[in-house]
Amino acid sequence: MESPQTVLIVDDSRVSRLMARQYILGMHADWIIEEASTGEDALEKVKTFTPKLVLMDVNMPGMGGLAAAEQMRKLLPTAHISLLTANVQTATRNRATELGIGFMEKPITEARIAQLIAPLEARP
Amino acid sequence: MITLNELQHDALVEIFNIGVGQAAASMSGIVNEEVTMSVPSISFLNRAEAAQLLGGKNKLDQLQRICGVSQHYEGAFQTEAILMFPEDKSLEIVRLMVGESVPLAELTEMEQEAMSEIGNIILNSCVGTLANLFQRELQGSLPVYHVGTSEEILSASGSASDSVVLMLHIDFILEMHQIHGYVAFILDVSALHDLKEQINLYLDKVMGQG
Repeated sequence: MESPQTVLIVDDSRVSRLMARQYILGMHADWIIEEASTGEDALEKVKTFTPKLVLMDVNMPGMGGLAAAEQMRKLLPTAHISLLTANVQTATRNRATELGIGFMEKPITEARIAQLIAPLEARP
Repeated sequence: MITLNELQHDALVEIFNIGVGQAAASMSGIVNEEVTMSVPSISFLNRAEAAQLLGGKNKLDQLQRICGVSQHYEGAFQTEAILMFPEDKSLEIVRLMVGESVPLAELTEMEQEAMSEIGNIILNSCVGTLANLFQRELQGSLPVYHVGTSEEILSASGSASDSVVLMLHIDFILEMHQIHGYVAFILDVSALHDLKEQINLYLDKVMGQG
């Protein structure tokens, strides 16, 4: 039997974390989802939890999502990491490309979440 | 006073139109229904006049309680961006966002935080589009949530009461639920000078392509 996939949702907005979680569990009820509300919290969390997918907000209190994603890229070289952000600026998209991570704009919708989790479905 | 010639004024409205179009698309994605937006109106006002314009023409409307989410942006130019809804509609908007599965008690508990996130998405989608058109970067603060009259919301967003500001004001309507909101951008005189420079660069670029 395939082991369930692991996802870390990093967002200071509780409602955004709730929506992302709902959409993922709606498609894969057995997946294991952890949440963090800051970049610092997320880096702490990955010491004990190894996500295959990290969804990272950008504009958060503290270090912010880009700095957290940069460190996480080094800690989890094989994980799928994507920004999931309201910041639609080209500069932010370019930074995501430089860091070797994905980019998805908010609002969070079922279709966008389906696109973000697709790599995990293709390669269980 | 900084003045804009006809071409600069036209470019300013057009640029904000594109930004607002993007914001409308984001709002529509949040609430799952069509959102219509007005053409931006531009006015030079002091804060009291700005509050009067946002609050509506009669006294009763001006006393209506509004929930506002504001974000401060700086970089190519500085502005205070504010999203405003009537307070009595905010729970309905949050319900449209999260769907029917969340219990009312939990929904009420997360109302303020959810409205901040809605403001964050809508304001960033508009401001981000402007930054992309100007090919510059704008750094935004975290969203701040306020409840009060339109004047209180504008005071909380930091503009001095007697200073003249440029206000870009856009109405938007969620037709199905009869919800009417506003987005406003407040710029002081020095910020307007920077914005004018960005508009000139944009016009040079557009004309160069012509």
